[in-house]
Amino acid sequence: MKKKILIANRGEIALRIIRAVQELGHIAVAIYETPDKDALHIRTADEAIWIGDGPRCDYLNIDKVIGVAKKVGVDAIHPGYGFLAENPDFAKACESNGIIFIGPPSEVIQALGDKVTARRIMMEAGIPMVPGTDNLSAGDHGLREAIDFADKYGYPVMLKATAGGGGRGIRRVENEKQLRAELPMARAEAKSAFNNDAVFLEKAVINPKHVEVQIIADKDGNTVHLGSRDCSIQRRNQKLVEIAPSLIQDKALVDLICATAVTAAKASHYVNAGTVEFLVDRDWKFYFMEINTRVQVEHTVTEMVTGIDIVRTQIKVALGKKLSFCQEDVHIRGFAVEMRINAEDPQNNFMPEGGKTVSVYRSPGGYGVRLDGFVYQGFTIPKVYDSLLVKMTVFGFSWNETVDRLLRCLNNFVITGPKTTIPYYVNLVQDPDFKKGDFDTSFIETHSHLINYDDQVSEGNKLAHLIAEIHYKGENPYAV
Amino acid sequence: MERIVQGMGITEVLKIMRKADGYYITNTARDMSQSDYKNRILEITGGASVHVDILRKQVDPFLKLELLREKMPKTMFQTLCRGINLFGYRPYPQNVIRFVVKEFAKYVDVWRVFDFMNHVPNMQAVFEEVQAAGKILEPCICFSTGPEHTNEFYVKKVQAILDVTGEEIVLCIKNHGGLGSPKRIGELVDAILQKYPEMVIHYHGHNTDGNDIGRIVSAAMSGAKIVDASDHAFTGYYGPPPILSVIHTLKEYGREAVGINEAAIMETSEVLQPERKYYEYFESQIKGFDPTVQIHKLPGGAMGSSLEQAAKGGFLDKMPEILHKELPKVQIELGNYWSVTPGSQILWTTAVSNVQGGERYGNCSGDLQNLLLGKYGPFPFYQPPDWIYEKAFGPDWKKVLEEQGGMEAIEDIDLEKERKALADKLGYKPTEQQLVTYLQHPNDAVNFFRFEEKFGKVYVLPPSILFRRGGFKLGETIAYKDHTGKEHIVEMGPMQENEDGSETNVYLNIDHHQRHFVFENAVAQAGEAKAAKLSKKEIEDLAKAGDVRAPFTANICEISVQEGQEVKAGEKLVVLEVARLSPRWVMPCSQGMS
Repeated sequence: MKKKILIANRGEIALRIIRAVQELGHIAVAIYETPDKDALHIRTADEAIWIGDGPRCDYLNIDKVIGVAKKVGVDAIHPGYGFLAENPDFAKACESNGIIFIGPPSEVIQALGDKVTARRIMMEAGIPMVPGTDNLSAGDHGLREAIDFADKYGYPVMLKATAGGGGRGIRRVENEKQLRAELPMARAEAKSAFNNDAVFLEKAVINPKHVEVQIIADKDGNTVHLGSRDCSIQRRNQKLVEIAPSLIQDKALVDLICATAVTAAKASHYVNAGTVEFLVDRDWKFYFMEINTRVQVEHTVTEMVTGIDIVRTQIKVALGKKLSFCQEDVHIRGFAVEMRINAEDPQNNFMPEGGKTVSVYRSPGGYGVRLDGFVYQGFTIPKVYDSLLVKMTVFGFSWNETVDRLLRCLNNFVITGPKTTIPYYVNLVQDPDFKKGDFDTSFIETHSHLINYDDQVSEGNKLAHLIAEIHYKGENPYAV
Repeated sequence: MERIVQGMGITEVLKIMRKADGYYITNTARDMSQSDYKNRILEITGGASVHVDILRKQVDPFLKLELLREKMPKTMFQTLCRGINLFGYRPYPQNVIRFVVKEFAKYVDVWRVFDFMNHVPNMQAVFEEVQAAGKILEPCICFSTGPEHTNEFYVKKVQAILDVTGEEIVLCIKNHGGLGSPKRIGELVDAILQKYPEMVIHYHGHNTDGNDIGRIVSAAMSGAKIVDASDHAFTGYYGPPPILSVIHTLKEYGREAVGINEAAIMETSEVLQPERKYYEYFESQIKGFDPTVQIHKLPGGAMGSSLEQAAKGGFLDKMPEILHKELPKVQIELGNYWSVTPGSQILWTTAVSNVQGGERYGNCSGDLQNLLLGKYGPFPFYQPPDWIYEKAFGPDWKKVLEEQGGMEAIEDIDLEKERKALADKLGYKPTEQQLVTYLQHPNDAVNFFRFEEKFGKVYVLPPSILFRRGGFKLGETIAYKDHTGKEHIVEMGPMQENEDGSETNVYLNIDHHQRHFVFENAVAQAGEAKAAKLSKKEIEDLAKAGDVRAPFTANICEISVQEGQEVKAGEKLVVLEVARLSPRWVMPCSQGMS
């Protein structure tokens, strides 16, 4: 039966979800704030409803979103990632208003979103954990606990906001003096950012690999993993490049990590799609980090190597269907890499280029390339949202083939108007360490030379530039 | 009769020429380009061309030689070198001269070398390097007219040259102004050959007065073995006369040009004729020949640029006074030396300044002062009168002349230091050739190398594009091959201003893909109603003056200071907000707020 599904998001993920909804024969309802009035998700959805002037407040306004959903009579809401995706209150509001939330139950989001609770669940399930504290007590008492912990396990330690996530609310502490200074600041920041001043401490794992496992579970508890991803290439805890599967050679280790992810999901009574994140240290020990209770930006790489449409599966599971495949049906084939093409100027500290108009947009094609974007030629990038323009996901049968294809596709990608991360990635995919698959979370920091690139302009375009100038000036200013 | 082809050495060339019945022709398109088209047409090298190549033609002077050599494997290439002034306008240090000549000698077979004071020591370093490289050395005696310019004087000059070079040279009579009658030139050639019967003489002239064929005929009949002429398609002003006219005339006198194919000459001009229109803009402001050159003596190579200067400066109407009255007077006053680069520029600017400035010699240029001090070499005949020295240096001029007069050795420069300086400017290691170009014209060379990085190798574009005036038509398509041979096609799209009129977008379809280029519009004049947006350069200038600007587009969420408040370096001024970041903008140095 036709269902009406509201997408409580914007940008590329809104389009991604709309596609899945429409493929299933359901009705896609988009919402938007004023700065998104020219956005493509509005045109592509079957219905689109303006929810306010924003920015970034109406997309986050639970009452408004639920109100609109009820008004147009939606059956389900897909929250995408970011905004309300991991807000347990939103899931709860859906549940209490008789709307299906396409994601885990609110209690699961609640439990896993609280890092200390999550740690306790995982500890009980026997999942390997980085040594850490419970929520620190208030005031001097908490500081004492922190110092004792650090003395026992040694510096550096990571000071984390309990309610943080996605790389935010984390700081690395090198010594006791710094710990004394940072703790009150971390609390204040957590309070303002997440409305929760709880913080805790973990031993720092130095330059680990970031390996995560895609899981999906139906309401009957059938829980399947879709293999691993490596998301070590990060800048200030924000992922830039994601790979499926992990390039760790030891297959048994990767299998163990995946199996552990399923155990973790089951221990938390997980339903729908999620990601179990691990750190893998230099001695090939792995530690549970967190479970992200949403569809992730980088889900595309997993789709490419498994052939399973994760968003479609999410919707079906949420609507009460059983998983149509079991663990044995999941086969990993080849390699996929996703590069986040952002409107940022890598040479100006990755400063966002919002406000600029995309004057030329020419995307690569051919075998093994997938694009999840939302911009078009003539589109002005709103200043008020994130800078992701398009995710370029490239598939290849072998790692080498994938890397070769990445370079080709980047070279075929032309976006003018805003500066983008494309030229930076062109350098990155030619880096010997990247080509060898040898990287951890320190990669961007230790490969700072990748920032050195000249704008690649073809000879034909250079000459045309002079023709344009002759045209503009009415004479060749370099000849007269 | 034997042709002279690339690869022959001086001994062989001299032997062939001495026994030849006929005469040889040099195609001096170089002189035509400089005299009649402000160096914009294709020329091999030498004279102002090295500078104009990088300044106005955007082609690497060495790459050009390589490409021409590919197309003309048998033809000898000739350069014109200004001795100590190389291809520029000022004396260079000895080590620079030797380095530059060595690099160019890899491509250039014949070296025509002159000094505007006919001061042989000024040419010596070039002579030595050319001979060391095994190339053909052709020292010049610059020619002019007047009571001092006797055969005796010039024959002595020839001896002074031979004393330095030895006998294995071609001698050039350099008549850059096209001065004197045919009879006068014939007598000079004859006088030199009487003294040095084995000498191979090259008569180089200009057709400024329309009578160079007469002089060429006279020179050839008197025994000159090489004469200069050019393809007729581009002739008509101050450059060389047409080749065909020369050979037809001399044929009547029983002299044959060696190795000349008349059909090929005709065909060449047939190809060139339709191209001439693209160069019209660079032609002289005054059309036709100028027989008054016998009075003002400006060299062909300086005519076009002088007239252009007069047109741009709005004193074209004063030209009769400058050319026919003041310039001849200045010539005599300043010693009747040879009006050729850089000496011709000194004569010209002095004459212009004398007429325009109100007071004669009231504002002596630095170059004139250097000339008076003998920095370019001794005056050949007599020194200018005392009153000019007094005008130039004040009442104590004698003391100045005593203390500063005479030529001084220019100290060698540290080539490694220059190499490093260039590398720093370019951001990569320069080639030897790039260094050579840089040493001669430092700023223009760097600008050119940067230009090439930005616009590519633009010499592939035909003159119909490069010299296009008035822009292109909407929808016009332009096809060209880049330097690698790859075909491109550009379709002209619309040109539109942005909303506030600060920028113009030019839309092109390049190889069937749309692209646009943004140009900042010129800032509106002061007093105009519309306040124009600052250009990037203005912003940079303001920044140098203490202006503080945000490095990116952002929203201001806090202003932490008041107008007029004194602030210290490092103090917070404003808080800007962009997605995910809230950097503070701090004062880079202490100053008052406005």
